[in-house]
Amino acid sequence: MPSPDEIKQRIEASIPGAQAEVEDYTGGGDHFRATVTAAAFQGRSRIQQHRLIYEIFGSEIGGAIHALSLKTQSPQ
Amino acid sequence: MSSQTSPSRELPMSSPQPSPVAEAPTSGGETNPIRDAISEAIAEHKVILFMKGTPEAPACGFSARTVAALQSLDVPFAAVDVLPDPRIREELSAISDWPTIPQLFAHGELVGGCDIVTEMYESGELAEALQ
Repeated sequence: MPSPDEIKQRIEASIPGAQAEVEDYTGGGDHFRATVTAAAFQGRSRIQQHRLIYEIFGSEIGGAIHALSLKTQSPQ
Repeated sequence: MSSQTSPSRELPMSSPQPSPVAEAPTSGGETNPIRDAISEAIAEHKVILFMKGTPEAPACGFSARTVAALQSLDVPFAAVDVLPDPRIREELSAISDWPTIPQLFAHGELVGGCDIVTEMYESGELAEALQ
């Protein structure tokens, strides 16, 4: 079961310059909420931004990671 | 030493390694009635939500929240429960390239899941996207 910190590190390692804040928001270890700020999001639709993150985790989404709630933004 | 040609190349048949994800055999795309039915449903309905449960009885908080956003905008929408058959979800995700449920489509395009729909609802963009 991934930890919030592991999810954060994987996001930041996969998207150059990304900053992620990840919390386990049910306390059950499988529902996570991530806020990700990355320059890579600029010029991409929300759907494309979320896909960039979903791709990191592949089939873990819906599996070990039951839910990963996302908020994405570009740095100001 | 005998000189064999390109010994480094591995034939796929020498290492049968099925993807651990693919539990059900994926039909290569010749005839796929479930996928076709999903595509048709998306094309035929201006606004369609694929969810867990029904609008009256959502089976997941994310689906419930998405339904609530649509209902508060008073937008008529079609709803498909993905729970009765796991293949619905598999095929839907293959079509949309989106891993989670719910999924909201408008005018044949994926609008988003619960997070995006909620964000768009709060910013006022959702009403516009569903017109």
